Amino acid sequence: MDSTFWEMLRNIFEAGTFIYGAVLLGTYALLALFSIIAVRSYAKKGESQQVDILLKSPLAPGITVLAPAYNEGLTIIYNVRSLMTLVYPRYEIIVINDGSTDNSLEQLIEAFELVPVDFAYNVKIPTQPVRKIYKSSNPAYALLTVIDKVNGKSKADAVNAGINAASYDYFVCTDVDCILHEHTLMELIKPVMQEPHKRVIATGATLRIANSCEFDEGVMTRMRPPRQLLPRFQEVEYIRAFVLGKMGWSLINCVPNVSGGLGLFDKEVAIRSGGYDFSSFGEDMELMTRMCRYASDNKIDYAIRYVPRTLCWTEAPVTVRIFGRQRTRWARGLAQLMHAHFSMFLNPGYGRMGMIIFPYNFFFELLAPLVEAIGIIFYITGAVLGLINWPTALLLLLFIYTYSVMITTLAILWDQLTFRYYKSWREVIYLCATPLMEMFIYHPLIVFFSLRGYFHFLTGKKSSWGNMQRRGFKQQATAH
Amino acid sequence: MKTIPAFISATVDQFRYAPLVIQIAVIFTAVAVSMTAIAYISILLNRYRSHRREKKLAALHPLIDELLTEHILMNEELYTDEPVEATVPVGVFDKPIFEKKWARQVLIQRLMQYRDNVQGAMGDQLRSLYIQLGLDKDSLKKLKSSRWDHKIQALGELTNMDIPIADVIILPLTNSRNRELRATARHAYIKLSKNEPFKFFDVATEPLLLWDQVELFRIISTTDRISIPNFAQWITYSSNKSIIAFCLKLVEHYQQLSAVPAVVKLLDTRDHYLRANAINCLGKLRIESVEDKLMSMYDSQPHHCRTEILKAFGRISSGKQVDFLRQEFLHSSDFEIRKHAAKSLINNQWAASSLIQELVDTATRENKLILKHCMNPLIKF
Repeated sequence: MDSTFWEMLRNIFEAGTFIYGAVLLGTYALLALFSIIAVRSYAKKGESQQVDILLKSPLAPGITVLAPAYNEGLTIIYNVRSLMTLVYPRYEIIVINDGSTDNSLEQLIEAFELVPVDFAYNVKIPTQPVRKIYKSSNPAYALLTVIDKVNGKSKADAVNAGINAASYDYFVCTDVDCILHEHTLMELIKPVMQEPHKRVIATGATLRIANSCEFDEGVMTRMRPPRQLLPRFQEVEYIRAFVLGKMGWSLINCVPNVSGGLGLFDKEVAIRSGGYDFSSFGEDMELMTRMCRYASDNKIDYAIRYVPRTLCWTEAPVTVRIFGRQRTRWARGLAQLMHAHFSMFLNPGYGRMGMIIFPYNFFFELLAPLVEAIGIIFYITGAVLGLINWPTALLLLLFIYTYSVMITTLAILWDQLTFRYYKSWREVIYLCATPLMEMFIYHPLIVFFSLRGYFHFLTGKKSSWGNMQRRGFKQQATAH
Repeated sequence: MKTIPAFISATVDQFRYAPLVIQIAVIFTAVAVSMTAIAYISILLNRYRSHRREKKLAALHPLIDELLTEHILMNEELYTDEPVEATVPVGVFDKPIFEKKWARQVLIQRLMQYRDNVQGAMGDQLRSLYIQLGLDKDSLKKLKSSRWDHKIQALGELTNMDIPIADVIILPLTNSRNRELRATARHAYIKLSKNEPFKFFDVATEPLLLWDQVELFRIISTTDRISIPNFAQWITYSSNKSIIAFCLKLVEHYQQLSAVPAVVKLLDTRDHYLRANAINCLGKLRIESVEDKLMSMYDSQPHHCRTEILKAFGRISSGKQVDFLRQEFLHSSDFEIRKHAAKSLINNQWAASSLIQELVDTATRENKLILKHCMNPLIKF
């Protein structure tokens, strides 16, 4: 009786895993197909369009760039100067100092000749109190506003304060440590201006790892894959996630998330959706979900678009400890999101969000680490009990391995066919070799930290601003 | 020891009698390995092709530059009173390399770049060279291609070189279902049409996207010899809302006062977005006579039309609406409305300086902050 029960359980588990795996791999194959269509279409259209026509146009929509900062004293001046190199006719920069305990604010005041102003700050989204708002007395920095506020223990609270003070209809949210391409604003607003029927509520773009790139005065001058292995894994992961994943989803208007590192948002919809949730650990994805929810509830025919071009470089964690902290936080954010918005799951009222994006995220983002962990336990138990057919098991493992390498290599190929970012052959070979190791070194880390994130979610462990302990670009730039 | 055929046969047998899952796994593993190998080769080939192309261009560009500079741009003999087409030294371009299609395309691109940067007689000589080398035929051939990207390329070339295209060819393209082609055709039509550059406004059924408007605006405002029509005709009769919205921007840009009656009529439209655009246009044109109408309609308007009316009162700055602005500033419960009212009051400062001072002295803390915000020259919005 017992053995029959266990056999039945094993059969169910194996069949379930097979179906789960087949759907996941099928989805990846479809995404690969969709993404090449989307990326090539973007490239082809780009040939006949000059983004710089916006440069002198009085018709360019205004954009507010929001850069929240918490204890970023090491790089803040350099990064704000980098934001000032953006090329766009109508924009403003709002830096939100979220109660930093270092000398970030003093540095800003001195470097940009800031003076406190009587600013009519309208609280559309509740935040921690704003202490002072500064503007520069030097006309050269007229587009800069600095908000000094009480620490809100989250990036979300800081960005919300920035949204409250923003003057324009669109805002770009970035991290103050990110380096943006000079054409970022033009590239991000383009899909909004080119959409004939839908209201584009958000646009995202590809992010890359800045660790081994060269920068000059806040402008990226030489792109390189990171030399260290952990950041290089992240570079490959970003290429797969943005160029293949998000571009594939973008083709069918099913983008699940616009990255917190760089995204352009429709201010009105963001405010009406309640802004960023300061209690969320995945505030970017949470806002996107709420914006979609708001749009669906209010019968707004919306779209979220993605740009395959790399417009933002961010410093990746180089130690497993900091990397783990980041990924634990992300996983916890995902679990929170699923819990908070579960009513959207398979709800036809929310259109593609409810029927495609949410189920995909639930089954293949949230559950994937759990399924993998259960699979590993299952195999170890089977091995101990001598129930594993090793040739079959190894064959299946080989299949999963080759398939995952293929998907990542295709993402690198799409990227190379369209943009050809890296100068030398060696760099490309470096990058192509990375997926071969990913499954054995990087992926187990991801699974482990995801499970830790879920555990923290279930136990309600306290956490605060994800301070990355930056090394800073300035030092990097001068080192070359 | 097994022979190779025996090994293959054994493997095939193993595969044939394996469970379905294993068969699928084996097939997909083979597919994955092949696809990965193809991806590697594609990356390799793509980089090699790009490298070769760069090398070829690095050799060809200096040659073209030298020929153009020496024989066209710096050739003083060309800039006399003789007929242009007779004097261009076409012979110097008679080189085997320019028989190749890719090299001719590079030459066209280079000529376009030069023509973008020179004006007058030099531009005419470049155009003449383009025609005499038969490059216009290459462009026209591309225009007849079934591929939209080729058509776009051809339109760009012909427009740059100022080569007329028959209406019968270009007008249908201005309504193409392909957005990029449609936009390029519209730009080309405006630039090339001698008599009625805005004729496609009459036939445009597809919306004029904001991006298209930016491109068209640039072309219209930077092309010298376009005769600017009275945009009132489209504001009054067009059924395409995006055309009307765009015409309002053009009316404002050209300060076309003759179109004002049509814009005023638009205040009665049921589309509140268009109405807001019309109010914005009238404000920027500073049409004082429309103030009473704007005031009378204010209470029945949605929020964005109200803010546009307040902004218009600030732009017109007649001094007549000071009391109304004061009332809105003091009594509105909406923060944005109060802010716009305050801004417009500041813009009417010449007629309301004592009132503003009084408001600063007596207003609530929040209203005082709004006033100071609007009065601070460091704060733009």
